[in-house]
Amino acid sequence: MKLAGQIEIAAPAERVWATINDPVGLAACIPGVQDVRKIDDRTFGGGITAAVGPMEGHFDFSAVIEQSDFPSALVVQMTGTDSVTKSTLLATVTTSLEILGESRTRLAYTATLNVKGRLAILGDMILRATASMMISELVKCLKVRLEPPAGAAAAGAPEAAT
Amino acid sequence: MTARRFDVVVVGGGSAGCVVAARLSEDPARSVLLIEEGQDPRPIPEIIANPRRQGELILESDFVRLYEAERADGSTFPLISGRVLGGGSSVNNLGVMRPLKRDFDAWARFGGPAWSYESLLSAAIALEDDPDFPDSPLHGKGGPLRLNRAWKFDSPSDPPVEAMMAVADQLGIPRCEDMAVPEPYGLCASPYNLVDGKRQSAVNAFLDPARGRPNLTIQANTRATRLMLDGSCVTAVEVAGPDGPERIEAGRVVVCAGAYQTPHLLLLSGIGPADKIERVGLAVRHRLDGVGENFQDHAVVYMTFSGSAGLREDYLIPKVRLFVASTPGMDHGDLHILLHPSIRVPGMAPLLPVSIRLLEDRARGSVWLSSADPADLPAVDPRILSHPTDRTAMLNGMQLLADFVRHPRMAEFYGELVTPGEGESWEEHAVGSHITYNHATGTCRLGQADDPMAVVGPDLRVHGLDNLWLADMSVIPVIPHAPTNLTANLVGSIAARNIAAD
Ligand SMILES: Cc1cc2nc3c(=O)[nH]c(=O)nc-3n(C[C@H](O)[C@H](O)[C@H](O)COP(=O)(O)OP(=O)(O)OC[C@H]3O[C@@H](n4cnc5c(N)ncnc54)[C@H](O)[C@@H]3O)c2cc1C
Repeated sequence: MKLAGQIEIAAPAERVWATINDPVGLAACIPGVQDVRKIDDRTFGGGITAAVGPMEGHFDFSAVIEQSDFPSALVVQMTGTDSVTKSTLLATVTTSLEILGESRTRLAYTATLNVKGRLAILGDMILRATASMMISELVKCLKVRLEPPAGAAAAGAPEAAT
Repeated sequence: MTARRFDVVVVGGGSAGCVVAARLSEDPARSVLLIEEGQDPRPIPEIIANPRRQGELILESDFVRLYEAERADGSTFPLISGRVLGGGSSVNNLGVMRPLKRDFDAWARFGGPAWSYESLLSAAIALEDDPDFPDSPLHGKGGPLRLNRAWKFDSPSDPPVEAMMAVADQLGIPRCEDMAVPEPYGLCASPYNLVDGKRQSAVNAFLDPARGRPNLTIQANTRATRLMLDGSCVTAVEVAGPDGPERIEAGRVVVCAGAYQTPHLLLLSGIGPADKIERVGLAVRHRLDGVGENFQDHAVVYMTFSGSAGLREDYLIPKVRLFVASTPGMDHGDLHILLHPSIRVPGMAPLLPVSIRLLEDRARGSVWLSSADPADLPAVDPRILSHPTDRTAMLNGMQLLADFVRHPRMAEFYGELVTPGEGESWEEHAVGSHITYNHATGTCRLGQADDPMAVVGPDLRVHGLDNLWLADMSVIPVIPHAPTNLTANLVGSIAARNIAAD
């Protein structure tokens, strides 16, 4: 299963890059993600809780930054195991930035998700929906964090108003 | 040691096999052995009996087999069947729906008048005990299988279900209180196999009342590995049980191992098309080109919406079911649409999945041997949504659902579409994420003797063999516009009647 998308952020590419290279800080932007901690320079651990109807499950995951080349490639490998079916979830998330201007950056991502085990029965229905929702929340949060507040932008761009 | 011998050996104690074994052992002079690969857990464990534990039953228990199947885009998904006494009826979602009149009409084109609605309606009615319709000639009274509507139109409902009913009313979609009519359509109250809130499998309904008979032996944890042929006669069944391999002699054999495993056992025994048997190094004993072909299932696609916060409904047993036509101008329903329990992640709006289930699938797949080892599962290529008309019907159904939930009354609960996402192709979503309704059908279909792809005749005896019969969903030539458990029960009762009269 593949998910892909892109967004434009009104912030310099360096700032966007620094933010997405800091999983501990970024975790606060993703709903359901808890206890993210640094294991070594490239490895992070954490958990996600989710419920489907009456069933509740907990995902423990580790994420490894496989590649980090500004601005063209940030590749993160995630492996997770769920508490209910002991299935494993493998995800590869590739992010690239395109510098559109001093304070304009386009972020493009692709995520490939693979489930091994019984979770595949609920599989795509749950994963796709949950992953796309998490990503859209993350994107919203990134914009809030990185972009100047609406008032500041208006003040800083008087020529646009005329 | 001399081999055990039975008048009838029934292979597979699933939805059909339990009916066959129970009916054929009614005559005390006939010795019957029922062999089941899965367990015969007694008392029935909570995880099977309690419908609220359905998720765990499928996700965690040993009572299911999973077959890995490929989608058209190369991704994989699991097909499921039951592996426990009761077969599918011990693990399924408990919906109990009769095939439509148009389904019997389709079967009669393969099987002749014996398969017509008129011929089989009374047998279908005789299976049921439906206290909700005491005065209707379409419903059974006092039959072995109790039907129960956990929800009726006048029952209290959750707000989203109320909204669904209101929108259906406004759109002129009729209400269908009785799905047993020849052509049900509209917003339906679904019947379930529940007695006092507990699952009623084919074991409870059919087999348990027969257990005490001295002429019925039930042997669980035992897999049939091969049928032994002598000319046009099956002489024995080779099995692998807890005490090792055994060869059991049989007067007649009835294979009821389901739409995956019945063709599997036939192919392992050299019965089938030459290429499928010889590719794993086995010898052809009786050529029948239809074994393992004509696989069908109902395609299922989920669309997911972001919901209003705090919704905690329980649709594990779906209350209402939309049974509608995918395509304008069509004169009958070809879709089930069901609401499902929400997915909740803390800090995020709940996600509300809705499924669209195509009941009229034209795609045909196949089942074959992955190896000559009976312990290996057969390979399955279901080819779901491979037919362009199926894809169009599914896409129409997705549009219909999107329009339905966009209606202001539904929009209170069902917000923006999350999957398929903005800019994502709906066709790619359907082809790349579908699963099935788990209604595998048709892999040893019935037909007349001059029909080259027919495996059994209208009487369910295997063409060209004297004493081998098949009775399960594999014999049904065209998948019905309904979930298949009741059809499997019906096939079992037809086979038992024919064998008793033989
Ligand atoms: C998850 C799920 C949900 C479903 N939901 C519904 C629903 O809500 N409503 C509905 O009507 N239908 C539903 N179905 C479909 C329905 O249950 C099946 O169509 C039906 O049970 C098939 O009956 P059968 O007799 O053809 O085969 P089965 O019931 O599968 O029986 C085959 C039996 O043979 C045994 N067996 C196989 N091979 C061997 C061997 N070599 N030796 C010995 N034993 C063997 C198996 O273990 C099994 O018990 C569902 C199915 C599944 C899997």
